[in-house]
Amino acid sequence: MKKSIASLSALLIAGSLFLSACSSDKGGNSANESANTPAASPTASAPADSGVIQASDLSKLPDTAKQRTDTIIVGLTDPSGAFTPYFHQSGYDGNVSSLLYTPLVTVDNKGVPIPALAESWDISPDNLTYTFHLRKDLKFSDGSPLTADDVAFTWTLLHDKAYDGDSQVPALHVKGGEAYKEGKASSIEGIKVIDPLTVSVTLEQPNASALTTLGSDVLSKAYYGKDYKFGQLDYIKKLHEKPVGTGPYKLEKFIPGQEVRFVANEYYYKGKPKTEHFIYKTSEGDTWQFLETGEIDFASFSATQENIEKLKSLGFVNILPYTPSTYGYLQVNLEHEALKDKKVRQAIAYGLDRQSIYVDANQGAGAVANIPSSPISWAYTEEGINPYKYDPEKAKALLDEAGWKVGADGIREKDGKQLTIHYLGSKKKDTDIFIAVAKENFAELGIKFEPEVFADFNALVSKVEGGDYDLASFSTPLLTDPADGLIQFVDGEIKGYDNPKFKELYDKGLATNDLEERKQIYKELFQLANDELPVIFTNYRKTVYAYNGRIQNLDVSPFNGIAPSLPDWYLQ
Amino acid sequence: MSAFITKRLLYTVVILFAASLLIFSLYALTPGDFITGNIKLTPERKAELREIYGLNKPVLERYAIWLKNALHGDLGYSMAQQKPVLTLFNQYIWNSFLLAAVSTFLTWVTAVIIGCVAAYKQYSWFDTLVMVAIFAAMSLPSFFIGLFLIKILAVDWKLLPPGGMIATGSQATGLAYVKEVIHHMTLPVIVMTIMGVGSLARYIRGSMIDVIKQDYIRTARAKGLKERKVLFTHALRNAMLPAITLVGFELPALFGGSLIIEKIFNWPGIGQLYLTSFGLRDYPLLMGFTVLIAILTVIGTLLSDILYRVADPRVRLQ
Repeated sequence: MKKSIASLSALLIAGSLFLSACSSDKGGNSANESANTPAASPTASAPADSGVIQASDLSKLPDTAKQRTDTIIVGLTDPSGAFTPYFHQSGYDGNVSSLLYTPLVTVDNKGVPIPALAESWDISPDNLTYTFHLRKDLKFSDGSPLTADDVAFTWTLLHDKAYDGDSQVPALHVKGGEAYKEGKASSIEGIKVIDPLTVSVTLEQPNASALTTLGSDVLSKAYYGKDYKFGQLDYIKKLHEKPVGTGPYKLEKFIPGQEVRFVANEYYYKGKPKTEHFIYKTSEGDTWQFLETGEIDFASFSATQENIEKLKSLGFVNILPYTPSTYGYLQVNLEHEALKDKKVRQAIAYGLDRQSIYVDANQGAGAVANIPSSPISWAYTEEGINPYKYDPEKAKALLDEAGWKVGADGIREKDGKQLTIHYLGSKKKDTDIFIAVAKENFAELGIKFEPEVFADFNALVSKVEGGDYDLASFSTPLLTDPADGLIQFVDGEIKGYDNPKFKELYDKGLATNDLEERKQIYKELFQLANDELPVIFTNYRKTVYAYNGRIQNLDVSPFNGIAPSLPDWYLQ
Repeated sequence: MSAFITKRLLYTVVILFAASLLIFSLYALTPGDFITGNIKLTPERKAELREIYGLNKPVLERYAIWLKNALHGDLGYSMAQQKPVLTLFNQYIWNSFLLAAVSTFLTWVTAVIIGCVAAYKQYSWFDTLVMVAIFAAMSLPSFFIGLFLIKILAVDWKLLPPGGMIATGSQATGLAYVKEVIHHMTLPVIVMTIMGVGSLARYIRGSMIDVIKQDYIRTARAKGLKERKVLFTHALRNAMLPAITLVGFELPALFGGSLIIEKIFNWPGIGQLYLTSFGLRDYPLLMGFTVLIAILTVIGTLLSDILYRVADPRVRLQ
């Protein structure tokens, strides 16, 4: 034990080394990074055109990779073995289950819902009742038929009081859901099985994200519901490593800490996948060594110039640029007097050189964000959005307006109090860059800057929850619906932000399923957020995927990862 | 002797009880809990989950519940991995043990040989050269040696695999499987041996130099015993006495896994699992593992005392 503690500090150094080398900074928590809505869409294997750099010399391909004919290997940080959808705690298990299960409804590369296991769906005019029509002859991977009963069972199970996963289904306010959860009803009133291929669900209040939330994976009632008793879900843990699903692949073998092996599912609704075997290889540390030696076929890296050059020099990989569906922001402590003032927040946005911090210092592996939406969402817009271009003079003017005057020692003061920013960030390269640049920026504005760095993400979050901070760096989890990126401003997560107009627009945005109408509402919301800055929007990340040039038909969905196109992958 | 062991075992129980309470409180008081890190959850859902997991109860009550279950042999379910803690131990510890056992063995053998020869030929060119090499190895961080060897032996020369325990997708069984694992463990074992051999070799060299100057060695030589016998039977046995105490302390290290080595070589060991679970505040797994190491440490110390008695009859245990 003594030994491991002593090595811990050394490890942190080593760890930061890895982080800079491997794909994406996870914000410290594995659960943040996942393709949480698995999918398999017919259109997702669109031509991989947008800026793919083709392999220059496939003859450089290592022998290890050449010898594989019917197996593709992809690195995955740390799957733990809980492969039942809705029940896994780690995002990596989510990646695994996204290959084992297919949802009812998935989304295309813009986030627009498209059919998967459900052939079509109807939404009642009041936007409260969703009716799903299943495809004919759907089968689970054990060959048993999939019917509306299984769908109803899945939704019911998620309303159990012992359910401890992070599915949003229980939060949709399904009619009768609360009564079931409290044990007052033996079934959920709002869920109706109409015939074996049709199932409907009625909500108490409209919610446009319900379509994709409800239209997720289906658990077999015969398999997962055999031992189900209300309030008792422990039995499911025993089934985690023996999944029965509907995805393109079936689980062949899970070797803890090493590999997850898959074999093609002959019952997959779109037909058996082209490549017989697929493997997720656990790779905790650096993935370079495995890509270079041909042990894995696919890996992701931060899109820095250096990484791209190095990948190009390998010669045998195709390079696919990719923007994760997230946004980064500085959470602002709105309970502190100074930061309550919109002008101060705007001054910070103007006064921080975000271009230098997030784009230039990252060798181009990023972009500046100004709204709470990922740049690839269908709702993304730059219309009427203030870009808050770096402008220290404007920032100073705003601070003057807000009553913060430069004091004797160069620090701004108001009512005898100095303007201080206590900043919290997690230990990684990005934070170091931020602190270095922000220190200068804040000095120029006359703001006292006190950075604090945490090696541990949970400690950082708990300090923020305790309220002892002014600014804290965060990134959102993977966003599918535009509402996902906004919910933190209405559900109390961002303490001290309470804007009735924002709430009204948020509800309005979820009250309709008409995309054009929603676009308009979100534009207005983004403009509002962009002006008020309940948090200071910072950046979008950019990554690249590098993969063995022999793999054909590869595409990565911003919302669902590799799952949608995987059934079409094959080795040339 | 048996009275001694009974007394020590009694102490052990008290020590473990106090240690587990301390460890539990430390983990519980570290800022943030298992729920905090999941930024996808709304504040209400977080409160609901804390209720389900019992994380909203006072620390002492949580400790009492944990202790009660632990005494019944139930270390609980890992929250993040969704598996019983004991199952996880079984899946990961043996991999760590394999690495540690082989490298510890090699470390001791190498260190004893180097230490003896260096002491016997004190200040010779061999002694100087070896000591310089040892200091060099000791002052380099293990992740550097590890990454360097991966670069040279695995990526450039392709002699050894860059990491993992088996070739990905390998269907090997029986002897082929054993061969494959040996092939994969060569690199991490080399690095661990390099890291460990330095201090131990210096230790043995030092105590050997002391012993060689003793009168009884002169007597043995005067009797006309062969030099080899003098060195390895008479001198080494006495020189090893202080080193024997170290054997017991190796016990927890054998099962504790190595954080850095496992990470660099992608070895499926318990060290990595422990580090991840600390970041996630996976309390049952953290507690289970730390208490296991505490138990091994206490047993290791006891073992050292007993071994000392076995090796040196002059020592009386009370």
